[in-house]
Amino acid sequence: MDDQNIRVDRMRFSKNTQSSRLALLAIVLNVLFFISIYKYVCKDASRSDEFYYTALMGASILYNLVFMLATFLSSEGVKNYKPNFSYIMFGLAAIQIARIFIYPVSAHAQSGLMSDGQFIRLIVYLVLSALCLVGAALINLAKSRALAAHTASLEAGKA
Amino acid sequence: MAELSLKHIDKIYDNNVQAVFDFNLDVKDGELIVLVGPSGCGKSTTLRMVAGLEDISKGTLTLDGRDITQTPAKDRDMAMVFQNYALYGHMTIYENMAFSLTLRKEDPNVIHKKVLAAAEILDLTTQLNKKPSQLSGGQRQRVAMGRSIVRSPKVFLFDEPLSNLDAKLRSATRREIILLHKRLNATMLYVTHDQTEALTLADRIVCMSMGHVQQIGTPLELYLNPNNIFVASFIGLPPMNIFDVAVKDGTLVGKGFTVPLTPEQKATLAPYNNKEISLGVRPEDISEGGDMVMDVTTNENLGMNTLVHGHLAGNRITAKLKGWTNYRDGDQVKIAFGRMHFFDKETTQAIRKDGNVK
Repeated sequence: MDDQNIRVDRMRFSKNTQSSRLALLAIVLNVLFFISIYKYVCKDASRSDEFYYTALMGASILYNLVFMLATFLSSEGVKNYKPNFSYIMFGLAAIQIARIFIYPVSAHAQSGLMSDGQFIRLIVYLVLSALCLVGAALINLAKSRALAAHTASLEAGKA
Repeated sequence: MAELSLKHIDKIYDNNVQAVFDFNLDVKDGELIVLVGPSGCGKSTTLRMVAGLEDISKGTLTLDGRDITQTPAKDRDMAMVFQNYALYGHMTIYENMAFSLTLRKEDPNVIHKKVLAAAEILDLTTQLNKKPSQLSGGQRQRVAMGRSIVRSPKVFLFDEPLSNLDAKLRSATRREIILLHKRLNATMLYVTHDQTEALTLADRIVCMSMGHVQQIGTPLELYLNPNNIFVASFIGLPPMNIFDVAVKDGTLVGKGFTVPLTPEQKATLAPYNNKEISLGVRPEDISEGGDMVMDVTTNENLGMNTLVHGHLAGNRITAKLKGWTNYRDGDQVKIAFGRMHFFDKETTQAIRKDGNVK
């Protein structure tokens, strides 16, 4: 067995920690986004209250919970080389990118509600979070396909 | 090559209790040595000193001529298998077996090859993704052995590895250890209190009692020519029958029985004429027919043999008779002694030719 084959064969007995850790990092980045968004800089607090305290805020909080749960479950799925969880991760990553246009962009458009620095930081968190998810999903897809092919060849060899 | 040498090893604990006295042993390359003795005889302490888990109070330990008396355990190139397996419950079998090599930061591909090779030897290939809790006791012990094998140590140390297993599994795992030893041809030190394990596994046995080595020899040597009453009683199952007898003009006179001696035996016991000695007879060396009468108390059928317990003129005696017998309490059986062993009554040492002790 050459080194490449051994590397693939090792996957039969080891977890895909690379993808799993990237997914967990995506959760951490999302938490950073979440704790940073309401740190408004507006001197007139009532204006911030008017902007944030809507049904959208409740939906946003709810989505954060859903995101963390779905990403955690996906991280466990990719740990075991299950390819379907990669597609869930692609979906979650797309939503992270879409979220940029909901809060940071709309809040930044309101003058004095969000500084440029805070705006850029929030975008960076969401983009990085999405990139982690895409990376985890791609690595898992590649590994799970290689492992499936290797397992099939082993079974063919046995037969 | 892995030759181990223990010279004048003593173990004295801080509270001045001495557990091992002047232990001397040369282990040849590829030899399987079994340390056997009752609980508290110092066999595990000796093994732990070899492993580096206990300090050596006095003496020298060398491995391939290199003094390792003060070498830390991790640098001794020895692997130990424990009675309680000592596996990590949260890791898979693969991870357990690979763990020591991972700690050493070996190439993952090399680790993989070694783990698969060890799993193949121990027939664990299909269990590698399982957790220890999903395996039977015998399989867990095989994993513990596998963890040792992957390290390719110079010496394997086994500390009562079969004690946690039931009788059937113990027998199966014992056979696996024999095969493993043949396959690896590695130097092994094995501790047990079970004399059956010692007899079946060992190239040589070290029989210990109260911290002292009683005898070192092949299983057959210890069985046929025990050095003293302790070894005679410890090796062999059921244990040897011991009687107090007097040597009188070519016969042994016991309480209520007399045994004639052959000319060779007479010569051996000549210096003991008119003195008391201890006579040892193994249960399997007693046969039906003869002049002595045994009063039966219990009859245990084992299939091919029957263990008959009773009294010979008041002395307790056990005979292992051939075939299936149905003696009852109170029956009388005529018996004869086959091979006999003689021991000095005071020193308990064996009396050999020309009256020499041992």
